[in-house]
Amino acid sequence: MLALQLTITGLQTGALYALTAVGFSLIFGSTRIFHFAHGATFIIAAYLFYFVNVSGYGLILGIIAATAGAIIFGLLLNRFVYVPIQRDEGSFFTVFVASFGIGIVVQNVIGMVFGRGYVTVQTPLSFSVELMDGLYVSPLAWISMICAAIFFGILWCFLKYSQMGKALRALSDNPELVRVFGLNPRFISACAFTIGSILVVPAAIISGATSGLNPAMGHHVMLISLAATIVGGIGSVAGTLLAGLALGLAESLALLYVDSQWTEAVTFAILFLFIIVRPSGLLGRSSAH
Amino acid sequence: MKKMKNLFAVFSVISCLGFLIPGSASAEDHTIGALFPLSGPNATYGDVFMSGSDLAVDHINADKMLSGPMSIAYEDSQGLPQPAVVGMTKLVNVTNVPYVLSAFTGVSKAISTLGTRNEVVAVNGGGVGPDLAALGEYFWNVIPLVNLEVRAVMPYLIKEKGIKRVVLIYIDDPFGNSILEELEATLKDSGGELVETMSVPTTAQQFSGIAAKVRAAKPDAVYIASYGAQQIQIVKQLRDNGVDQQLVTYSGYLVPDALALPETEGIITTGQGVNYKSDDPVTKRFVTDYKAKYDRDPTAYNVNYYNATLLYAILAQALEAEGKEVTGANLLAKRQEMGSFDLVGGTVSFQSNGTLLFPIQVKVVKNGKPEVIDTIDFGK
Repeated sequence: MLALQLTITGLQTGALYALTAVGFSLIFGSTRIFHFAHGATFIIAAYLFYFVNVSGYGLILGIIAATAGAIIFGLLLNRFVYVPIQRDEGSFFTVFVASFGIGIVVQNVIGMVFGRGYVTVQTPLSFSVELMDGLYVSPLAWISMICAAIFFGILWCFLKYSQMGKALRALSDNPELVRVFGLNPRFISACAFTIGSILVVPAAIISGATSGLNPAMGHHVMLISLAATIVGGIGSVAGTLLAGLALGLAESLALLYVDSQWTEAVTFAILFLFIIVRPSGLLGRSSAH
Repeated sequence: MKKMKNLFAVFSVISCLGFLIPGSASAEDHTIGALFPLSGPNATYGDVFMSGSDLAVDHINADKMLSGPMSIAYEDSQGLPQPAVVGMTKLVNVTNVPYVLSAFTGVSKAISTLGTRNEVVAVNGGGVGPDLAALGEYFWNVIPLVNLEVRAVMPYLIKEKGIKRVVLIYIDDPFGNSILEELEATLKDSGGELVETMSVPTTAQQFSGIAAKVRAAKPDAVYIASYGAQQIQIVKQLRDNGVDQQLVTYSGYLVPDALALPETEGIITTGQGVNYKSDDPVTKRFVTDYKAKYDRDPTAYNVNYYNATLLYAILAQALEAEGKEVTGANLLAKRQEMGSFDLVGGTVSFQSNGTLLFPIQVKVVKNGKPEVIDTIDFGK
C-alpha cells in the first residue's frame, strides 16, 4: 500500500515538475535563451493568484490574473532584456547572468510587496481523502494530473498541427531558414515565451495550495526544471514531460529504498547518470561535432 | 594655484586616513552588528528578530543611556553559514563593531570563531542547538537551548497524554541532528520509543511522501525539528495528507506565519517562559511599547533580541561611566563582573557557559494562539 501511495504522490509531484519544466524547455529549445527567470515567472503567477484569492475575488479572476502576470512578465523580459542583449551579440553567458539577476530582483520585489514569510492558498481541495485503508489522495492530486494531461495534449496538437507550432519547431532547428521563409523570428520567440509562461501557471497555483509559497522558492523550481530539461533531452518537449514525471516518481519512490534525506539527491543522481551515459537525454537528438 | 592643490591633497589624505583608521569615527556613536536572515526561506524570522532589537534601540536612545546615539548595522545571513561568515567579516573588519546579534545554530557556529579571534562578542537569541553553549566565552546565549525544550516536553507528553511512540522529522543540519540525539536520550529515559526518524534536506519542499511513511509507522506523536518556511510546509503537508496524530515541535515554530496556518491548531510546542504580566518596569515598558509599535503581542524571539540589545547598552553604559573603551573584551569582562541584569522577564544571570536560564513552558496552539499548559523550571 505504501508503494501505491508513493506512486500516486510521485505522479502528482511529477505532473507539477513536468508542467514547469516543459515551459522552460519550450523556450530554451525554440530560442536558445537560458531563461533562468522561469522560476520568477512561477513565483509571480503564484503570488498573483494568492493575492486575488485572499482579496476575495475568487478562483476565475485569480487564474486570469496569474496567467496575465506570467505572460506579461515573460514578454517584457524577452523584449527589454533578452532581445537587446542578443542584438548586441550578447553571449549565452550574458543572457544567463541577466536572467539570473532578474530572478533575484523578482524574489526581492515579491518579498517587499507580499512579505518575506510563508503564505498558502487555503482550499479544502488540498485535504486528502482516504480512498482505501492507508491510501490518501487529495482532490488536488487528480487536478494536477488532469491539468498536466490537458495542457500537454493541447501543446502537442499546437506544435504538430498549427502554423505557429511548426514555426516554433523550425526556429529551434534553423533560425536563418525561418527568415528565408518570410517568418519573423522575434514574433515566434514572443510566442514561445507566451506559451512557456502559460504552462507554468497551473503548477504555480497548485503548489500555492499544496506546499505553500515563499519568495525564495523560484530557485528550487528552476533547478528541477533544468534537471528535467537535461534528462528529457534539450529542446524535446515530450522528453521533458517524461523526465518531469520520472523525476517526481523517483523522488517519491526513493523513500521505499533510501533514507528520506537522499530523495532530492536521487533527482540529481539521475541527472548525472544521463549526462554520463546519455548526454542527449531521453528523447533528445545526438549531435556530433 | 599650486598651494591650493597641495592643500586639497593634504585634506584628502587626512580625510582618507580618518576613514581608514578603525575607531577614529566619533567615539560617541554606538553601532552594533546583527546577522539576521533578511532574504530566502528563513526571512520570516528576520522581521521578527528586528522588531525586538529595533524597539530596544528606540528605548536606549530615548533614555540617552549612552553618550551618543546607538544603531544596528544589519547584515543578511539568509540563515546560512556561508553568507553569515561574509557578513560577520564585514561587521568585524569594516564596520568595526564590538558586539553582534546572531541567530540560527549553523550561522552562530560558523561566526563564533571569527568573534573569538577578533574579540567581538556574539549574542544569540534565536538559535537553539545545544552546541551553542560551548562556543567560547565571546559567544553568549540569551535563549534557553533546545535540549531543555525536549527534556521538558517529552516527559510531559508521556505522563499526561499517554504518548509512547514518536516519529521524528528533522532537518539534515547540526540543529536537526542535535534534536535527534536529545530525543533519543530523553525518550529512553522517560519510557518512550523513537519508532522512526526521517531527516529532510534543507532545500526540500515536498513532504507528501514523508507523510505516507509517517502514517505507515503508526506513531502516537510526530516531533518536527526544522525551521523557517520548511517547518510550516511540513506541518501543512502532514495534516493535508492524513496525518492526524499529535504534532509536537519547539519554540522556533512560534512565528506569526505559522500561527496563522489553520493546520497549526492543536500543535504542542515549547518555549522559554516569560511572564509578560510582570510588574517590573522593564517588562511592562517592553510589552506596552511593543504592542503600540507593532500592533501585536510580543513573542519570546522579540524578548530575546530586545534583551540582547539592551544588555549591550547596560554594559556599555557601565564601561563609559568608568571611562573605559567599549570593546568586546571589556564588554565580556563587565558582564562577568556585573553578574545579573534587569531585562525583560525579570532579573537574570548567565550560567558559566554564557547561557541565560529561563523556565520552559509547554504550550498548545488554540485559535491561533499558544496557551501555556505546563511550566518546567530547570533552575530549581
